[in-house]
Amino acid sequence: MSFGQAGFAALLAYVAGLAVIAELARRARRDDSPADHFLASRDLGVFVLFLTLYATAYSGNSLLGYPGEAYRRGFSWIMATGFMMSIVVAFHLLVPRLRPVAVREGFVTPGDWVRHRFGAEPAGNALRLAVAGLMIVALANFLFAQLKAMGVMAEHVTGGIVSYELGVCLLAATVLFYETLGGMRAVAWTDAGQAILMLVGLSALLGWLLIEAGGLASLSEAVAAVRPETIEVPSTRERTNWFSTIVLMGLASVVYPQAIQRVYAARSGRTLQRSMALMTFMPITTTLVVTLIGLAAIPRFTGLGAVEADSVMPRLLEEWAAAGPVALVAAVLVFLGALAAIMSTADSVLLSLGSMLAEDLLGRAHWDAGATRLGKRIAAFVMVAMAGLALVARDVTLWGLIELKMELLIQCVPAFLLALHWRGLRAGPVLVGILAGSLLAVGGALLGEKRLAGIHIGVVGLVLNFALAACLSLRRPR
Amino acid sequence: MKRYLRRMLLAGIGGLYVLSVPWYRSGGETGGSVFGLPDWVVVAIGCYVAVAVLNAAAWLLTDIDEDGT
Repeated sequence: MSFGQAGFAALLAYVAGLAVIAELARRARRDDSPADHFLASRDLGVFVLFLTLYATAYSGNSLLGYPGEAYRRGFSWIMATGFMMSIVVAFHLLVPRLRPVAVREGFVTPGDWVRHRFGAEPAGNALRLAVAGLMIVALANFLFAQLKAMGVMAEHVTGGIVSYELGVCLLAATVLFYETLGGMRAVAWTDAGQAILMLVGLSALLGWLLIEAGGLASLSEAVAAVRPETIEVPSTRERTNWFSTIVLMGLASVVYPQAIQRVYAARSGRTLQRSMALMTFMPITTTLVVTLIGLAAIPRFTGLGAVEADSVMPRLLEEWAAAGPVALVAAVLVFLGALAAIMSTADSVLLSLGSMLAEDLLGRAHWDAGATRLGKRIAAFVMVAMAGLALVARDVTLWGLIELKMELLIQCVPAFLLALHWRGLRAGPVLVGILAGSLLAVGGALLGEKRLAGIHIGVVGLVLNFALAACLSLRRPR
Repeated sequence: MKRYLRRMLLAGIGGLYVLSVPWYRSGGETGGSVFGLPDWVVVAIGCYVAVAVLNAAAWLLTDIDEDGT
């Protein structure tokens, strides 16, 4: 059996397994309320919460985009381990303050916080719509990236039996099916299994690569021989960009709608606290591992273009599978792990999109069962639209998509972090800050000025955003 | 005491993040090798491992008041 045939059989078996989990989750539902569908009745325990947080945080971007970026940049991509960890650090600013209010008020979406905090002010409604709009655009971008990654993985690992286009359509339909049927419960259960597959698979792949290379020292030497600039200390501009990326990823990821909804969905504060303590170690077992995998690809594949570099992971799997029958089985397991990571992020994004579109943008009440149905329908529409886009827009790198998404999402930070810590903050100034910061970020991206002296334009926008929100609130206190 | 310790841990994490970026070297240098990796990469990894340990401790010291009081 070839690697492509084994990959194809595994893909079909995996999709069938997901359908079974979706049906079990549907049977476990308690009612038709949004809280049950979108938050699994706020009953996720430590183990499932930790694994669903992990599988959601580590996506197609991590599994394909990060090895690709390590291949492009070299050793300086070690920064990825730091910025993934900064997310769990930045949660200290959000979780202890937001969780008690969320439990007391029964929040379902991020917009519920904005409504609660600023709803009594004249600009409160406009602010909620602005925050929801930014988050939805960022989520749609994220979904697009996952669909693109699904197509790349399916095509490479089935040896072309499943084309990129068919992979995008088949896997998008699978995610839509189990998310619609089983809601957060199906998503969290599949995430748990997907996280375990991902952890085991990546460790096995790195082990094989290190054995093949003759150890870490030989691997570094081989990388340096092909591209000596990759082991050099980065320039001042790149080092500034390193620090800017830590700030960008740490702060923007804290306001990921799907992350905020997992804060709401935890069974208790203690559950959340323990899950976060475990999550902080995952960049070492995952991001560091995928970075080393991307570096190991440098001497193996020379001259890959910017977009082609995103496929170093499936290319490595193909090579590994050729080493023998045991390697074939192991490579197929890694493929499933990587695909699982991508799908687990896509399902979480889709669930958040549905709830936010129905409640935050269209204003349906979070206790209304009709909001669940409306959310499912809109999510299906967005999924179809993004799948269509993924079929035509292939010439964009995954890291490019991540940066664009984060630079927009980070503009929502004052509405959460500053608002949670400062009672004097007012809706109007926050709205002005968000608009100014977003304009700067989007304008910079459109004009091709993505960085100022190495600092992301979105981070510069956030500084302006914070300054306006704080100064205008101080000028006209409540 | 618990709150003070948590703040100290978070401050330490901030310091480790600053240290993880190789400001202490000039751009373009190759430097030495430690455990088969460039030394500035090993420093960064060391800082991130320490961040993980301190952050886990900080989370275990974090009170999340479920009553919202």
